[in-house]
Amino acid sequence: MKISWLRIWCLVTFEVLRLFTTKRGLLALSAFATIWFIILYYFVGSASSMITSPSFESMASQLFGALGLTALLDWPVAEYAIYWLVAVYFFPSFALLVCSDQFCSDKHRGTLRFITLRTTRAELVLGRYLGQLLIIAILILLTSIATTLLASMRDVTLLLASLKIGAKLSVELLIVVMPFIALMSLLNTLVNSARLAIVAATLFFALGPLVLAFIQYQFGQVFYLNWLFPGEQISSILSQNGTATSQYLLPLIQTALLLITSHWLMKRASL
Amino acid sequence: MSLIIDVQQVTKRYGDKTALNKVEFSLEKGAPVALVGPNGAGKTTLFSLLCGYIQPSSGKISILGHTPGDSALFGRLSALPQDAQLDPRFSIAMQLNFYARLQGMSNKFAQKDTARVLDMVGLSDALNSLPSELSHGMRKRATIAQALLGSPEIVMLDEATAGLDPANAREIRAIVSEHASDVNFILSSHDLSELERLCDQVLYLDNGQLKHHQTLGNNDSAGFLTLRMKQIYPEIMPVILQIPGVSQVTMTQDKEYLLTVSNEQGKLSIEMELLTALASNNWSYTQLINGKTLENQLF
Repeated sequence: MKISWLRIWCLVTFEVLRLFTTKRGLLALSAFATIWFIILYYFVGSASSMITSPSFESMASQLFGALGLTALLDWPVAEYAIYWLVAVYFFPSFALLVCSDQFCSDKHRGTLRFITLRTTRAELVLGRYLGQLLIIAILILLTSIATTLLASMRDVTLLLASLKIGAKLSVELLIVVMPFIALMSLLNTLVNSARLAIVAATLFFALGPLVLAFIQYQFGQVFYLNWLFPGEQISSILSQNGTATSQYLLPLIQTALLLITSHWLMKRASL
Repeated sequence: MSLIIDVQQVTKRYGDKTALNKVEFSLEKGAPVALVGPNGAGKTTLFSLLCGYIQPSSGKISILGHTPGDSALFGRLSALPQDAQLDPRFSIAMQLNFYARLQGMSNKFAQKDTARVLDMVGLSDALNSLPSELSHGMRKRATIAQALLGSPEIVMLDEATAGLDPANAREIRAIVSEHASDVNFILSSHDLSELERLCDQVLYLDNGQLKHHQTLGNNDSAGFLTLRMKQIYPEIMPVILQIPGVSQVTMTQDKEYLLTVSNEQGKLSIEMELLTALASNNWSYTQLINGKTLENQLF
């Protein structure tokens, strides 16, 4: 299979344009900015005073300890402890919404007929995926920079430590989000609208565990089918307590499998 | 002559329904080709197969030596698919520029080419308009413009002039005939007179089968004249039959007569006698066509 990176780059840049030049994209950006303003201002910004205040310290230790997150309390930049806890759940959910229309509406409208005369279906799937990934990466980076600024404003000596931990968490967040975007790519091959893709994703995450529990109950053994679900490793990486590299292999493998399936279906789809 | 399209025993089924049944033809480089047939005959299915939008159930298709959808055809084959619409969220220029860049053009060249094709279809003023701000006809012209980006060798236009006003339809026909020497056009339309004017070859599909594959103006049509009158004249047929060389006259439709000419060599004198007879009876005609109309050839 011959892939042109030039055409993929074209598709990627057009996806970024879609976010910054269309009404829908700008609306999503505004919603994102508003939510993150609230998170940063009320939670991340006051994280240090919350975590270090004597009255809160014991409560936070108990709470974080109960959740297995005591390692987060040892971080030099308290802002990032709160940032990580929020972002690791926020970005996957946000990705499901923002990346819900990778090509389903284009397919429904017939626009893909113009595009597939100029690019292969593999390039289309990969280009659109990478475009969405780039958008999420930009947004993660922006929130990470904002957190660094907040921490540095409190104590300028934290700048270096903030930059270091911010870069590390940004990469980790991106890896966490990758299979979620790939899942939306796969769902886009099956449905004709972004709304349906979101509904399908919701059903997948809501009914999936029930189906797994039923299978386990029926056959009386574990099939590790839960590994099929994006975000399966989040609870393990949440504590950041000596996270093993293998925890990041799962989302990468899930991403590859989802994208391969998406391409396989797309290749056979009638446009 | 080089083969541009080779279709071998192509069948396309949708469930129990056979949309195309063992269709076989090959097209060589040359004048525009017309694809005609009644609704549901399989024209759009054939277009979709040639463009690689759908896969055949059986059979083989080769376009410029490649299978449809192959990256080697990008920029060489373009099309106006029926009912396909541009993205309503981006301006026409932005989308065409994107398509041109996908075809391998630099950003600067893509902008230039976008302006060129939009000028060709008379949409220079709508460069920065959103598709939703344009009328149906203007949107159609914008989609025709995308098919002309770069220098394609094959352009397939499915119902290109449907929904266009006469002036714009004429513009599109002019574009086709102007570029017919460099580009191989394949046109589908229900307007047979339009196809007759533009095309040299006709592929006639009916009920999923290729019924005719013929060249217009061939010998089948040589022994005929078609006469179109301004109004109905009841006595016209006996008068025409009296002209030496005319063996048969049939009324093909309202105010239209098909004359069978027995002596092809003397066609010119028959035509002159026919016109004289019309003038002497004070009968007004609108058209005298050398041969059969496409409609009469097909139906």
